[in-house]
Amino acid sequence: MEKKTLLSIENLSVEFSTDEGLVKAVEGVSLTLDKGQTLGIVGESGSGKSVTALAVMRLLSRSTARITSGHIWFDHPNKGITDLLSIDEQQMQHIRGNHISMIFQEPMTSLNPVKRCGKQVMESLVWHRKAKPAEARQKVLDLFREVKLPSPEKAVKAWPHELSGGQRQRVMIAMAIACNPSLLIADEPTTALDVTVQKSIIELMNTLQQDHNMGIIFISHDLGVVGQIASHASVMLEGKVVEFDTIRSIFTAAKHPYTRALLACRPGLKGRMEKLPVVKDFLEAPAAEGSQKEPGESETAKELSFSGKRKKNHERIYSQKPVLEISGLKTFFVTRKTFLGKAVEHYKAVDNVSFSVYKGETLGLVGESGCGKTTLGRSLMRLVEPKEGQIIYKGTNLASLSDSALRRLRPKFQIIFQDPYSSLTPGLMVGKSIMEPMRVHKILSNDGQRKEKVMELLKKVNLEERHFYRYPHEFSGGQRQRICIARAIALQPEFIICDESVSALDVSVQAQVLNLLNALKEAFDLTYIFISHDLSVVKYMADRIMVMKDGQMIETGEADHLYAHPAHAYTKKLIEAVPNPGFW
Amino acid sequence: MIKFIAKRLWYGLWVFLGVVTVVFFLFNVLPGDPARMMLGQRADITSVEAIQRELGLDRPVHIQYLNYLNDLSVVSLHNNKKEESLFFLDREKYSATVLFSVKGRSLVMKKPYLRRSYQSNRPVTEILATAFPNTLLLASVSILFAMIIGIVLGVFSALKGNSLFSKGALVFSVFGMSLPSFFAAIIIAWLFAYVLGDFTGLNMTGSLFEVDDFGRGEYLSWKNLILPAITLGIRPLAIVTELTRSSLRNVMAQDYIRTARAKGLSMYRVITRHAMKNALNPVITAISGWFASLMAGAVFVEYVFDWKGIGVVIVEALEYYDFPVIMGAVLLISVILVLLNIAVDIIYGYLDPRVRLQ
Repeated sequence: MEKKTLLSIENLSVEFSTDEGLVKAVEGVSLTLDKGQTLGIVGESGSGKSVTALAVMRLLSRSTARITSGHIWFDHPNKGITDLLSIDEQQMQHIRGNHISMIFQEPMTSLNPVKRCGKQVMESLVWHRKAKPAEARQKVLDLFREVKLPSPEKAVKAWPHELSGGQRQRVMIAMAIACNPSLLIADEPTTALDVTVQKSIIELMNTLQQDHNMGIIFISHDLGVVGQIASHASVMLEGKVVEFDTIRSIFTAAKHPYTRALLACRPGLKGRMEKLPVVKDFLEAPAAEGSQKEPGESETAKELSFSGKRKKNHERIYSQKPVLEISGLKTFFVTRKTFLGKAVEHYKAVDNVSFSVYKGETLGLVGESGCGKTTLGRSLMRLVEPKEGQIIYKGTNLASLSDSALRRLRPKFQIIFQDPYSSLTPGLMVGKSIMEPMRVHKILSNDGQRKEKVMELLKKVNLEERHFYRYPHEFSGGQRQRICIARAIALQPEFIICDESVSALDVSVQAQVLNLLNALKEAFDLTYIFISHDLSVVKYMADRIMVMKDGQMIETGEADHLYAHPAHAYTKKLIEAVPNPGFW
Repeated sequence: MIKFIAKRLWYGLWVFLGVVTVVFFLFNVLPGDPARMMLGQRADITSVEAIQRELGLDRPVHIQYLNYLNDLSVVSLHNNKKEESLFFLDREKYSATVLFSVKGRSLVMKKPYLRRSYQSNRPVTEILATAFPNTLLLASVSILFAMIIGIVLGVFSALKGNSLFSKGALVFSVFGMSLPSFFAAIIIAWLFAYVLGDFTGLNMTGSLFEVDDFGRGEYLSWKNLILPAITLGIRPLAIVTELTRSSLRNVMAQDYIRTARAKGLSMYRVITRHAMKNALNPVITAISGWFASLMAGAVFVEYVFDWKGIGVVIVEALEYYDFPVIMGAVLLISVILVLLNIAVDIIYGYLDPRVRLQ
């Protein structure tokens, strides 16, 4: 181990015992991190990146996980180079939170809900540094100032639920750096946050690293984010490191096809391809294409021809009359009632929004969490009752329709939710799940025909007929989302509202689902309202984009134009916050 | 906080009024003539009518109802002239302080008057006042027993994972939950007071106050509390153990526990400082529910051990249609439930700031 090396993982292997036997989560991983450097670990879910991090912290579950081989050398500031895997639990406790600390993905659940934020940060100081309460409190205030929490005095006394996601993550960071660790492990610290918040957290971490001269391991599924903070990155696939290089070479001259696939699958902000490449394209045919992906001309040509097609399409779409016209839509939630139950305070989730939707278009709807985009989508279908306003569909006002009349129109409007894990009934065969709404709305005359139709739909969404008899837990996230899509199109809808439908999916799976959505749109003549917080995805999908903030619509326009020339300062801020390491 | 308690008390008062109303009208439609019950089957018609008049049974129902409410209320309105009136301020019935009087009517402050037992003619307040402390003591001791041992057992079995101890605790809790209390009572009384009686020195039956045969009068006998308290505590103990176990296991899998461990805290500290407060909510719910039901009297156990508690009082009163006693007991229990619920809400707020009311 060289003198400047802070952490060196050597040939680490971790096994998990599961119901299906032993699973190798990490296989022969070797990584090194120099002092004061940032190492990014990139990979999709299940690639073993978090397991590697937890192995360094020795926080893997003792009953299920087993480290089968390897060493983790750490340059302990007092004791010199130590193998973290060979010391006892008590010594490890002294290192955790003191010399090596960690922040986690979910700021919402990572803080103890029943302890005040200040207390939680103080705890490490008292525990490791034997600080007196008054001293610790002062130190916590300083830390909260350092992590730029607004009104630090208040934050010390606040309960976690009183802070926003970004603020909680700042508290977590304060907790992690409290004892001046030489290594900070950040496991997807910004994934659950809005882009603008993500940007500020990354900036904060960059500053802190310089001020404290920490080594950082930054784990993310998003190469773009890693590119903004790390100097080196390793790409993990199925428990192995497939590439370990400087950020620059990874972005400009990736050697492994999987790395290239990760870079290509994510819809970029610049060009637009008709179909996104998927990981399979890269992994299955790397040899045929040569070691380097064919760059340049053919792709640019494809993009150009697609851009022409898109223009023609737009001319056709926008020459018609809008099929759905929304005016003055307001949806409020009651936040305070009087003694007698009369509402006195409202949260204005959707506040006076008007827009129209044209047949055959994809209308993108972006905004940060809490801006009302989901409520707007649900209000259109009256899954949430709007308070005021009109939703005119082919001359009828949906907002004032009776329940039974609305039910007859329901098949026309379908929704695909964010979380494919919780939007399928676990005890129902997926085929039956797809069939159920067809039965309710009496599509086709008998179950035999319906079943045939379901089989056909399963094939349409790239699943197989035999999947009819399977249960949701047997499928991966991407497959489940395709089942949800099949369920939505089973009713022959006109509109599909995609509410963050791809946000929970890995980048490569996301590309597949996006391609599928586009193919289905053409095949079934659908109109999409595509809601997402991810601007690059929305830009790829949408013809027009609407930007929402605080329940109001602040800007709307043709997708490319809106990106190139945002009129509103907020839109500009959103676009700037999209992680872009500058190599794209 | 005070506002919250006041609000809950106010709601509680309405609940209580509802209970009074329902109970009153229920007992009014039930068959049975109190006058006959008090005097026996062979009473002559004049005495029966006299009793009926005295109890106001010859008046319309709504007058009786108002009268009942007036009797219950701490502040009430009375007539201090007409002796035949139901609302007459009878010093034998009410221990009242007159606040002020106008034209033969007085507003008084008094203890709630719960009438007299049809059976023994003792005031209901007195009957409840002798029986209830026994029940309260028994219920509290058995709940404390269940809570302390249950939480300790639960914590250990949650942490020991799949060990023998954990499995043993699980078997015990399934067994405890499915054991009927009357059966457990008999078994425990037989085993500890008869078979092992010489060794333990415990009695098969006996109440808190025993009368000495040698003229020492009544004396306290704490050891009589042990067996009934354990018997009553077994089921809540089993449930508390199981709930603590599952709840703590759940909490230990949460992200914030991982955060606490990542801070470098020892396992003991992680559990005491971070996990317990989060895990206790369902346990508190269960304990309060059991406490409430024990307070309403554990009839079988009180019977088997001859413990003079409220359960036995209620059963005896039911047997003889002794309405005032039953109504008094029901009202007492509902007051306790309301108070207990408020206490539990305060505890919830202490345990979890998210449920604290603004």
